[in-house]
Amino acid sequence: MIIRVEYLSKVYRMGKVEVPALRDVNLEIEEGEFLAIMGPSGSGKSTLLNIIGCLDKPTGGRVFIDGANTASLSENELAEVRRDKVGFVFQQFNLIHSLNALENVSLPMFFAGVSRGERLKRAEELLAKVGLRERMHHKPLELSGGQQQRVAIARALANNPKIVIGDEPTGNVDTEAGNVIMGILGDLNREGKTIIVVTHDPVIAAHAKRVIRMRDGRLLDEE
Amino acid sequence: MIDIILMAYRDLSERKARTILTLLGIAVGIAAIVSLVSVGYGMQEAITGELTVFADLISVMPGKLAGMSYVELGSFTDRDIRDIRRIGGIKEVTAMTHGAAEVEYRNERKPVFVLGGDTDALSSFYVEPVGLDEGRWLRENDYRVCVIGNRVATEFFDEPVHVNDKLRINGEKFIVAGVFKKASMLYAMDVDPHIFLTLRAAKDVLGNEKAKYKYITVRVYNIEEVDEIADELEERINDNHGLDEFATAMTMGSMLERISSVFSILRGVLVGIAAIALVVASIGIMNTMLMAVMERTHEIGVMKAIGAKNSDVLSLFLLESCMVSLIGGVAGCILGVILARVVSLVVSSALGMEFVPTVKVGVLFAGVGVAMCVGVLSGFYPARKASKMSPVEAVRYG
Repeated sequence: MIIRVEYLSKVYRMGKVEVPALRDVNLEIEEGEFLAIMGPSGSGKSTLLNIIGCLDKPTGGRVFIDGANTASLSENELAEVRRDKVGFVFQQFNLIHSLNALENVSLPMFFAGVSRGERLKRAEELLAKVGLRERMHHKPLELSGGQQQRVAIARALANNPKIVIGDEPTGNVDTEAGNVIMGILGDLNREGKTIIVVTHDPVIAAHAKRVIRMRDGRLLDEE
Repeated sequence: MIDIILMAYRDLSERKARTILTLLGIAVGIAAIVSLVSVGYGMQEAITGELTVFADLISVMPGKLAGMSYVELGSFTDRDIRDIRRIGGIKEVTAMTHGAAEVEYRNERKPVFVLGGDTDALSSFYVEPVGLDEGRWLRENDYRVCVIGNRVATEFFDEPVHVNDKLRINGEKFIVAGVFKKASMLYAMDVDPHIFLTLRAAKDVLGNEKAKYKYITVRVYNIEEVDEIADELEERINDNHGLDEFATAMTMGSMLERISSVFSILRGVLVGIAAIALVVASIGIMNTMLMAVMERTHEIGVMKAIGAKNSDVLSLFLLESCMVSLIGGVAGCILGVILARVVSLVVSSALGMEFVPTVKVGVLFAGVGVAMCVGVLSGFYPARKASKMSPVEAVRYG
């Protein structure tokens, strides 16, 4: 089991009002799974994903990633988890506009202290893998949405993480590009990576082997 | 390391206009310090350089120096001069007298300061460094003959005075034998507004028949003995007049000390002004960096989301402010040296005194060092703020 979520709760404070985003979520994900989390907006699926990806901290409950309890990790250790164990793909791509594709992909390796030569070599391989060998030296804004998202996937793979997380990875691209992206994620899954994707599009969710649904911060029964 | 520098450089060049403005702020502050200090040292060296020529000279005045002002207590007598001549190690003694006289030229009357003394001594003091514009210098057997300073010739009277013109000094007729050139700053006060006579003639027109002298200069054989002899001189003259502090004997050493203390105060003031400029510049850097942090909140969030530690973000932002301040500091030094030269040229021609700025390597290093300190200190708060941001909130921003 690569991820275990126990009694997870998250409460957002909006001024004086407390808004519960997650209520007692329990979830187990095995290594090599391809999981889709579905649900309407505001159901808490992104919050769950952010906590699993160590971007956000829970209000209550525990999350184990690859055996480590994230609640007991320091900020630096959490950064290392984000850097080495989890690759995050955002809906908005979130590439750094001043850097070209190659540099964007090598950035996580830069933070991991990989030498420049090795970094660029691996970044090149990863870009080739997502079909962007010809566009390595383009800046994000010179690429289409689908291409940007593929750069983002290559970046998520930089430090060879076991888990790749996508928060609506196809939400900002057209259907065709979305299919390409889901195809890549499927390939990664076949190579052994654990893939977790949040979506509200059933067609996208159909790529996954397991689908769970959320509503009002709770997990509904699995299909 | 090279990568993080490249990255910081890229971030800075993305925001060219603001980076350049910040850089300019620091550069101007450092340039101000470097140029002002260099000009200060340059002036000091020019003056002390001219003065060290007179290392064997002692000036004796009948009065006290208090700070920058001089209080005259009386005048020297023939007996003082005789006593001075008896002191060992003295090469020559020159007595001078001076005083205000009424000078008439073509029916126009003006008060002018008249100075009389040994013609050879006056020549080495004033004619050699300043030079004559026209005519000749005084001779010992001249009597009703004078040499005039440049301002006396050109400014004091409605019509300019030339060689062979006639002046009346306290009613006595004199012929102008020579006119001085315009003197440099160091001599301007001593030469330009004065009329020079032989000692005999000066005593006559000033009414100092009892041989009262206002100024004695002494040259010694051995420069090492100069302070010793100066002390003995003061003592003998004070004895003659029955006063404790009647005479002041100044050697170039004591004069140089006085000048350098004046200059160190001057430098302090200049550095103070420049320090204010630097404080303003550092507020500028802090502002730039804060803006950069705010503007790049999203980017910082992304970096943290893909695994950047707080220390990674902190060092990136600190490096940026270091680079701005390093470049600013170096540019400031270059600018400061250029500025110092320009200022020196302007001041030289305004004061009529030749000098070049003295650029000390230490001052340049200090300039860059100060710039770096300013950069790191003012960059630290924004950098820390950037590093502490929560990744999920920062990513959501913008």
